[in-house]
Amino acid sequence: MTETLRKSVSALVDQEATEFEARRITDSLKTRSDLKSYWAACYAIRGAVKGEPVVGTELLERINAELDGHSESSIISDSFDQADRTHVTFLPAKDPLPNRFTALAGQLAVAASIAFAVVIGVKVVAPVEMQPSVAQSEPLEVIKFQMPVQKETVSVSGVSSEVESTGQPVARILTERDMKQLVSDRLSSYLVRHAENTAVVGGTSVLPLARIMGRDEPIE
Amino acid sequence: MTSPVEPIANLDADNEQLLVDRARLGDRHAFDLLVIQYQSRLLQLVSRLVPNQADALDVLQDTFVKAYRSLASFRGDSAFYTWLYRIAVNTAKNHLAARAKEGRDLSYDADGQEMDRHASLHDLGSPDAETDAQQLQGAILDAIERLPEDLKRALTLRELEGMSYDDIAQTMQCPIGTVRSRIFRARDQVVQEVSSRFPETFL
Repeated sequence: MTETLRKSVSALVDQEATEFEARRITDSLKTRSDLKSYWAACYAIRGAVKGEPVVGTELLERINAELDGHSESSIISDSFDQADRTHVTFLPAKDPLPNRFTALAGQLAVAASIAFAVVIGVKVVAPVEMQPSVAQSEPLEVIKFQMPVQKETVSVSGVSSEVESTGQPVARILTERDMKQLVSDRLSSYLVRHAENTAVVGGTSVLPLARIMGRDEPIE
Repeated sequence: MTSPVEPIANLDADNEQLLVDRARLGDRHAFDLLVIQYQSRLLQLVSRLVPNQADALDVLQDTFVKAYRSLASFRGDSAFYTWLYRIAVNTAKNHLAARAKEGRDLSYDADGQEMDRHASLHDLGSPDAETDAQQLQGAILDAIERLPEDLKRALTLRELEGMSYDDIAQTMQCPIGTVRSRIFRARDQVVQEVSSRFPETFL
């Protein structure tokens, strides 16, 4: 055995070997029985220094003989009785997902998040946020959900909006044409932003930017 | 035992983990290294539970056999030695319970049959074997004493104090590569000297 290899074994005994050294030793074990002997010598020294009992090679031979007699690994401890099973903790497996599945799951999660944001943004947020511009284009019917209270008009930055005296915004019902316009505007805005962000980040876009930019006309 | 066995992912790729992973994949040579690594430490533990040396060795053998057959169950949530420790303690307890039961049964049996059944166990725990072990231990300690001071100090800090190479380098105020080299040369000299006095003991 070369000095380099013995040096690597010595480092491996101390858990200080590099990964390359450790793999070289474990790969060489099948063909180099002297590696095992040197390993045993290093541990004999450790045991002597610590005052631990010295165990010869006979024990290893007996273990191997018994394992060879029951070499089928599928036989799970026929002598490993129930008492052992209850005392030794067998914890559930934590098998990691392969990287390709993780990456795919991540992409799907991003796509699902974007789709969810678009739908929620269009159906829920848009009517309230876009209310002033709609109010300018066409008078809207006011629906009161509570007891009739005095209505007042509030003007902020040139945009008018009716607010109940309670201070709560009033819900309005949009016409079908307005709703289509809102949906179209919001959807286009979201898709353009999504495509732009995707181009910057380097991910996969839901739709090509060219197709999105071409949707100038409202959805009919 | 399930197959295939995946490497344990939650531990870093340290040296021992590599051996455990190999053993879980059925590499008996890697498992041999683990046996050699822990046999003395576990024998010390088992000997406290099972006073008879031959019985202690029998328990130790059972411990490693059970460990090998249950390796697929080891997930790395605890240290490998901790896992072995639990198996050893339970095996020792079961052994003592079985021996106690046998003791009651033996009142109806001949003593000679009992001696024959456990005759093979006494080979390892015999007075001759113990004497040989003590002589070997003495030879190792003598060889360490004769080492040059820098080698002896590096080896002692590592083996007795359990210091890492980095800590030893700071303590001895030398590069970590020098520590690695000193510890290796110390071991190498001891192995060579002991091998000359006890041929076929190590190499």
